[in-house]
Amino acid sequence: MGFGSDMRGVRGLLFGLVALALAGCATRPPSPDALAANDPYEQTNRDMLKFNGKIDKYFVIPTVGVYFILVPEGGRRGVHNFLGNLSLPTIFVNDMLQGELSRAGKSMWRLVINSTVGVGGFFDPASKIGVPGHGEDFGQTLAVWGVEEGPYLVLPFFGPSNPRDATGLVVDAAMDPTNQIPFKQHIWWAAGREYFTLLDLRAQTYQTIQGIQRSSVDYYSSLRSLYRQLRNEQIRNGRKQALDLPDF
Amino acid sequence: MRLSTSPTRRAMLLAALLSGTAFLAAGPAAAATVAESFVDENIRKGLDILRDKKLTTAQRRDQFETLLLGLVDVRRIGLFTLGQYRRTAPPEDVEAFLNAFKNYATAAYQSYFAKYTNQTLKVTGSTQRTPTDFIVQTLLSDPNSNQQPAEVDFRVRTDTGKPVLVDVAYQGIWLSLEERDQFVAFLGQNNGNVRTLIAHLSELAVNLGKPAQ
Repeated sequence: MGFGSDMRGVRGLLFGLVALALAGCATRPPSPDALAANDPYEQTNRDMLKFNGKIDKYFVIPTVGVYFILVPEGGRRGVHNFLGNLSLPTIFVNDMLQGELSRAGKSMWRLVINSTVGVGGFFDPASKIGVPGHGEDFGQTLAVWGVEEGPYLVLPFFGPSNPRDATGLVVDAAMDPTNQIPFKQHIWWAAGREYFTLLDLRAQTYQTIQGIQRSSVDYYSSLRSLYRQLRNEQIRNGRKQALDLPDF
Repeated sequence: MRLSTSPTRRAMLLAALLSGTAFLAAGPAAAATVAESFVDENIRKGLDILRDKKLTTAQRRDQFETLLLGLVDVRRIGLFTLGQYRRTAPPEDVEAFLNAFKNYATAAYQSYFAKYTNQTLKVTGSTQRTPTDFIVQTLLSDPNSNQQPAEVDFRVRTDTGKPVLVDVAYQGIWLSLEERDQFVAFLGQNNGNVRTLIAHLSELAVNLGKPAQ
């Protein structure tokens, strides 16, 4: 059994939990506002956000604090670079699937340069020579292929999402080459990578999320709006959407 | 602050701006450049106020608020953020909301901009949506960091006779859209009661004025 089957097992369990949660709220009719916001499972999503908030408060934030104390800034940057380098094959495939050949070439260049000159990805010499990184995932690929996002979802542990992006998570995990290598200690590798990805993400976003929580009238709907706008921006690859804005 | 336009050109644009509606009679390209100049000059002034270490906290807040209220069409933004509730709420509640929104927006904008006082903003161009609606594109960068500059866009309307700011986007995320989504959801959860939103906004404005924990 390799990483792929382990990861599929974990993701399958998570999506089973989501399905159960959605089934639990099936008898509760959504409010007109929730339907208007394309969020028919709003109450369940709000409950899930509270659950994620408790995990964040009692487990993630304390470990991020320890991470900041034990690992100096240079080391944290190295971990961030290394994790980004691991994602490059998946980004490359999604670039190709979207027909973005130029961006695919840049992803491949980054992988080659950072894996060699960058000592296994811990350093990022590619950015210094004018090949900056970019993100891409199968959720975005589905969007480029014309798949609608579907209703808003808050996934346990993963946070804001929708059926399209949740599908993308599973497909990205399945296509990740490191999840196919049958190492003996594969479960530790997979768990360690997920753990450090979470630490890195939370360390990078700590102040931003604190700012949103502090200034929000309704944190849940603020996150929902930010997530949707951010995903649309990522799908457009930063291209301007000046004509799509509402008039006011 | 790096500037994308030459001093002479900027002076001419400023003169056009000060002459009131002169730019409205000019062509689309000139109007777009006036919008760019408006953003360039005024965001620099705002960052200068936030950077000025000689000011006391109260002086900084007052100066920033005065500048902001002269630049931003708070009333237009406030009405937009109420969504469909603007039509159903009693007019006196809408007016009270606009006042609470002004205090909240001032505190929130000051809190957002304070994070970027050590960064430089460079106007890179603009897009014209309609003859009186412009998106001015800028890049925000930290001279002490290797990170890629962030895209910050400002939406400028000129239909009232002078340029006014109605929205700002950081990396494609528009603040007024996010505020509207929040307020409409909050009102949906509270039976459309605008007074509950006013109370909540007033509390937030006070908290945003205090130092972060």
